[in-house]
Amino acid sequence: MAGSGSAKGGLLSDGSGLLGGRTPAEVESMARLLRELEKEKELFRKLLKVAVSAMEGKDCREAMRAIAQSSTVPQEHLSQIVAGMYSLLKGALRLPVSSLKQEVFKEELRELRISEEFVTDFASVVFGNRRMALEAATKGQGPRLPTVEDLRWRVDVAISTSSLVRALQPSILMQMKLSDGRTHQFEVPVSKFQELRYNVALILKEMNDLEKRSILKIQD
Amino acid sequence: MADAESAKALSGLLNGIAQRVYYNNTDITEELLKSELYADLSQEQFHTLHEKMKGLLKSVASADMDQVQLEAFLTAQTRKQGGGGLSTEQAAALSKFWRSQRPRIRESLLGQSRWEPCLRGVSWRVDLQTSTSRGEPASSPVALVELELGRTGKDSEFVRMEFDEAKVNRVLKKMTEIQESIDSFVHQS
Repeated sequence: MAGSGSAKGGLLSDGSGLLGGRTPAEVESMARLLRELEKEKELFRKLLKVAVSAMEGKDCREAMRAIAQSSTVPQEHLSQIVAGMYSLLKGALRLPVSSLKQEVFKEELRELRISEEFVTDFASVVFGNRRMALEAATKGQGPRLPTVEDLRWRVDVAISTSSLVRALQPSILMQMKLSDGRTHQFEVPVSKFQELRYNVALILKEMNDLEKRSILKIQD
Repeated sequence: MADAESAKALSGLLNGIAQRVYYNNTDITEELLKSELYADLSQEQFHTLHEKMKGLLKSVASADMDQVQLEAFLTAQTRKQGGGGLSTEQAAALSKFWRSQRPRIRESLLGQSRWEPCLRGVSWRVDLQTSTSRGEPASSPVALVELELGRTGKDSEFVRMEFDEAKVNRVLKKMTEIQESIDSFVHQS
């Protein structure tokens, strides 16, 4: 079956395709199984929907069970089809729209001898309205650090303390709520606050500069 | 020569007391100071001197005396009759010591009444994502920031987080508000 795969490598192969990669096995089996199911458009759509939900990070076991119960196709085949669809969508969504043309995508699927109707359905997932939602969903799944959800502050002026008769020293109490659910509360002496503020301003400047420098814009 | 040496010993004593009382350096003990600086004094004589200097330093530090207050205070001390008084040399050594250590001691005293962890440092990095295992990479920069937080005498804790440009902007805006709030106090006084 390997011979029937995409000769160009491209989106279906592992890696970038530059090294002449091969179409993943699960995509090959999916294409093969789909050829037997060309009449079962309803089933195909249901399975595609499951694969899309899986891309969004949802638990699809229940949906798969329901499909398996109402279908005569062996469960093993259904699983293989969904795995292939998932792999195919994942590969396609990894590439920016600018570098993966819809026609190229369709052509690669045709080379796998997937029926025209199914090709259109695949393309509508990858290039249609759902793309934004899928990208948003997959973006959150990458490795990342927590972000600040809420920052509260209070400025105190210590008038007098057990060790200083006249302190009259301002200080800032900050409370930071992070997206991982943790909350950090800490005091910032005025001198440190100046340092922090300077650094935050510097970060913003760096980010602005970086966006202006078109040379660093990632383009394919 | 003897004066210079006794001034040096006294300055050493004041520094030693400051290390122990204000900078939490427990290696410096009264015994160590005596053997290093005043080996020729009797235990009792040294103890009296040590306690006197410690007391004076405490008065000066807790009031956070400025130059004028300090001079007035020291003059009053030198005029004291009897054993409790201060010699002019001792007053000079105290004055010199306080001038150099005032900000540091004040900071340490402020720290004694600070119970929340304190911001010790901030380091950051701005990254440009070029590729990810899932989905199209966001080509906008990401700021990774690490805050070092710690209580006095305890190890630091590090908090890492990331920001996109909008979030950095929001934080900066809050910091401007904080600055305005501080300025409104500082300028009034």
